[in-house]
Amino acid sequence: MTSVLRLCDVSVDYATPAGPRRVVDRVNLDLDSGGTLGLAGESGCGKTTLALAVLRLLPRTARVRGRVLLNEQDVSQLTWGGLRAVRWAGASVVFQGAMHALNPVRTVFDQIAEPLRVHSVERPTVSALRERVRELLERVELPPERARAYPHELSGGQRQRVMIAMALACEPSLVIADEPTTALDVVVQAQVMDVLRRAVRERGAALLMISHDLSVLAGTCHRLAVMYRGAVVEQGETARLVTAPEHRHTRELAAAFPTVGDAGSRHVDGSAGSGGGGNVLLSARGVGVTFVDRSRTRTRAVRDVDLEVCADETVALVGQSGSGKTTLARTLLGLCRPDTGRVRYRGVEPGSSSGSLREFRRQVQLVAQDPTGALNPRHTVYEAVAEGLRIHRDVVGETERVRAALEAAELRPAADFVGRFPHELSGGQRQRVVIAGALVLEPAVLVADEPVASLDATVRGEILELLLELRRRRGLSVLVITHDLGLAWSIADRVAVMRAGELVEQGPVERVLTEPEHEYTRALLAAVPSLPRVVD
Amino acid sequence: MTTGGPSADVRARRPSALAEGWRAYRNERGGVFGLAVLVLVVLLALSAPLLTDPAGLDVTRVEEAPLRPPGAGHWLGTDESGRSVLLLTWWGARVSLLVGSCAAALSMVIGTLVGVTAAHFGGWTDTVLLRLTDFFLVLPALVLAIALSTVLSRGVFTIVLAIGVTSWPQTARLVRAQTLTVQTRPYVERARALGGGHRHVLGRHVLPAVLPLVFATTTLTVASAIIAESTLSFLGLGDPSRISWGAMLKSAMDTGAVTAGAWWYLFPPGLGIAVVVLAFTLCGRSLETVLNPRLRGEGR
Amino acid sequence: MTDTLEHGGTRRSGTVPRTLGFVARKLGGAAVSLGLVAVLGFFLFRVLPGDPARTMTRSAPVSAEQLAQLRHRFGLDQPLYAQFRDFLGNLARGDLGTSYTYNRPVTELIGERLGPTVLLVGTATVLAVLLGLWLGTRAAWRHGTATDRWFTSVGLTLWSVPTFWLGLLLLMAFGVGVGPLPGLFPVAGMSSPDVPPGVLPRVLDVAHHMVLPCVTLVAVIHAQFMMVMRSSLLEEMGAEYLTTARAKGLRDDAVRRGHAVPNALLPTVTLVFLHLGMVVAGAITVETVFSWPGLGLLTYEALRVPDLPLLQGTFIVLASSVIVMNTLAELLYRVLDPRVRA
Repeated sequence: MTSVLRLCDVSVDYATPAGPRRVVDRVNLDLDSGGTLGLAGESGCGKTTLALAVLRLLPRTARVRGRVLLNEQDVSQLTWGGLRAVRWAGASVVFQGAMHALNPVRTVFDQIAEPLRVHSVERPTVSALRERVRELLERVELPPERARAYPHELSGGQRQRVMIAMALACEPSLVIADEPTTALDVVVQAQVMDVLRRAVRERGAALLMISHDLSVLAGTCHRLAVMYRGAVVEQGETARLVTAPEHRHTRELAAAFPTVGDAGSRHVDGSAGSGGGGNVLLSARGVGVTFVDRSRTRTRAVRDVDLEVCADETVALVGQSGSGKTTLARTLLGLCRPDTGRVRYRGVEPGSSSGSLREFRRQVQLVAQDPTGALNPRHTVYEAVAEGLRIHRDVVGETERVRAALEAAELRPAADFVGRFPHELSGGQRQRVVIAGALVLEPAVLVADEPVASLDATVRGEILELLLELRRRRGLSVLVITHDLGLAWSIADRVAVMRAGELVEQGPVERVLTEPEHEYTRALLAAVPSLPRVVD
Repeated sequence: MTTGGPSADVRARRPSALAEGWRAYRNERGGVFGLAVLVLVVLLALSAPLLTDPAGLDVTRVEEAPLRPPGAGHWLGTDESGRSVLLLTWWGARVSLLVGSCAAALSMVIGTLVGVTAAHFGGWTDTVLLRLTDFFLVLPALVLAIALSTVLSRGVFTIVLAIGVTSWPQTARLVRAQTLTVQTRPYVERARALGGGHRHVLGRHVLPAVLPLVFATTTLTVASAIIAESTLSFLGLGDPSRISWGAMLKSAMDTGAVTAGAWWYLFPPGLGIAVVVLAFTLCGRSLETVLNPRLRGEGR
Repeated sequence: MTDTLEHGGTRRSGTVPRTLGFVARKLGGAAVSLGLVAVLGFFLFRVLPGDPARTMTRSAPVSAEQLAQLRHRFGLDQPLYAQFRDFLGNLARGDLGTSYTYNRPVTELIGERLGPTVLLVGTATVLAVLLGLWLGTRAAWRHGTATDRWFTSVGLTLWSVPTFWLGLLLLMAFGVGVGPLPGLFPVAGMSSPDVPPGVLPRVLDVAHHMVLPCVTLVAVIHAQFMMVMRSSLLEEMGAEYLTTARAKGLRDDAVRRGHAVPNALLPTVTLVFLHLGMVVAGAITVETVFSWPGLGLLTYEALRVPDLPLLQGTFIVLASSVIVMNTLAELLYRVLDPRVRA
């Protein structure tokens, strides 16, 4: 077999005012024609930089050392003309986040046809181009009419399919896919991965796939390489690497995506107090929320939902994005008014009397999805945590209570953190500050909206461990809103599945996720990529 | 550390944030240059009554020949009634700076009020205010200012009012957009979930985030207000009892200084306007770069 | 490009009702704005002065009798609501009242002066837009280089210069002449009395007169367009679709022309039209400096008296034309930007 891509001792340095910063450190990789290689790593580990280096697409401040051989040609030796000829015809890229990687003011047809025009020896006729674009769209299972659409008229999955069609346009020998499905829902993600896998295999192209999610890579690639701080720390056959990882970081990555149904990744003792029979704290009865947008279209985001959170239990609310789960959470927090139905806290409707809303605001706290956004960049950690106390004019012993809350959120010693600003903290630390800001009011219920979705794989585990710990020690009830069934499996007692504003199924985690009754739950479970499923 | 507690730390951190801002500003070469020029001009304008004799401005008390080219005694020559152009230019800076900053301050107050009200209360208030803002944004501001200063009695106050009430729409648009952006931030949602009301959200989150940018825009507004002031004075709508750069250029045109080739009468006032306006523009742009995280590349 | 148009034609058929709604909304908005201009015109020139007759005669001594006569002539002796009703009625018929100084219908005076202003402002705007966009594109594409710094500094300096001062300087240097340099261009007006008959000589004569005022306007207003285009393109420079375009093997200039500029142009178009008011303001002083017989000079002549009916007329005409142009721009924008169209 011939080699399509070979990286020999490739390093990349960025010139910064403080001197060169190494982003990729002496990487050696090999990819044979028709082969599939997965490159795994957390954000900032240098995997995207490495991919861009293959086609010399890095900014001018980057310096590449070592040899990048594409089809046995050294990319760094090419002239500009030679490089342009290799780009897309030799290797093409499916970029992360197709919304931004597609030009918003040009049609799908224009953008797919563009590389065909550029890389043809003689100018192709319009009808020939149209035929070719049609064929490409069919291959990614898009109706040919979509050629006339503009990117904003397509859904996220459709845009990613357009990117794939575009990447295949010139029949390259290598396709580089950089986080091709990151922003997509599980179900759509599975479909897009399927299209990508098939399209690449049919054309005999090699695939270099980059992701932070080991399970997505494991389902597609024969070989895997794990990157950590710019260097490849482990590589080998997928089956071997997944079942017997050698490097500590590989193990962390694997553990960060728990497998549904695997007893080893379940961290809750299923027998204790689960089942929802306990003391009901927060409840929704027949709640419905309708939005009216600018063009007076009514959207029923939540319809007729019954949900309870009892004392000392963790409930997971799962569903795809747009299923209404965040709206439901906002309604439970009293940030959004339901049109129908009632939200009650310990049997009292918040807002029914003047004191009840205040009391409710202390007892039910929010942990938002994006800790970076949830902290005011101008406020120190101390101010962020004390904000709740100050709003409730409960300032007696403020300093001590802030310190205690920070320590409870495992930011120790608290004195090291109080004076810092959010930008001086890591993502995981910021989320702990947000949690401390909620804990300081000593709430009974925590509503956590995608608490780990924006965090790196290794940090996710720590934050989830903290939530479990808080429940064990303080008996804190948690409602976790997530798109990730694995997360629900690992920490929740009960799970409620939401689709298009309705709860389709709810019950104990063991029952719902192993013997789902509703077909939608089954579809969700089938779409979840899981590690042991080795390539067919 | 232990007795004062974290609040002491927090207070200690505040000046360092300011110092950090100043460090970032220092890297903007244009901004530092503009600031230096401004300090110099302001000092000169303030010291005019101390260093010069205002009697030289009185037409009835001068003995020099009119429109004399620069020479000994009159470094910049004389105007049509024999007054020193240098003296006139020196005093003219006072009106430009005064009117420019007052008008910009007025425009800032109106703009911020309209912008925050529209964005925070939304609904009908927003629709009406936005519609009004857009109307005044499109309307030629100078034409409106001309109309106002024609029908009202002549004076510095009229000019300030005319420029101030016609230049707020940009600020209002900016403040509204910024307020809306800040209000969608998860930390505002978090503050509301913690139980914070309108006062808390506006005072602790919205205004501190919006005001620095308002400050930068106001600096830019001063620049355009000075241009507007000189234009109004040039059209003969200024305060007749005060010397201003625009009024000097008007007399230069009306008394035939142009056809006489009296460049020394034409250059100083115009150059004065250009330098001060450029200085304010450079400062404003640098402030924007320093204060706007998006321009600094810290955004998403 | 042809295929885009073909596809575009069929694509839009489904969105016709929505487009109609959009057009109706914009036209309705424009109508409200025009109404506001009329109300503002009445308020500024009839209500705000208190006694308009006194304002108009403030530079000359007049007897009480003359004042009363004047009030009667302009209908100022009637109650305000009646004045407003008559004002609106006349406005609907295109009657803007009678000028105090010229003693002629304001509409007629404005009609005579409209042509020269449209010629000057139109030419200057087109030139300034082309120059500004071109320079802005070059500056942004070579961001941080000497070219960029040079363009930006020149632009900022020209932007800081008062239009009328630049006009006076150019007038002195190239109209009157300095030292040995003779005057190359006429100093005033838009035509010479001694032009030989025929179309071509007359056109050349007007063009000769227009050089200096036009250069003045272009020099000052192109800077604004340049800065807008520059920052708009700079914002697009980091966009990921540009990396996609480069990865496709496009040449650098093809990436710029085919991808970056079309995206950067759209916000620029809106801003260009928003700044039309500024161009109008520049025209007033430039026409004053060069005695160009347009609306600006008419305004200047009117405000010296002050001739309130005439000022009111020019105010309403200038403000309305800017509003109309902006509405056209908003409609055009919808055709240009597919994101707004959907």
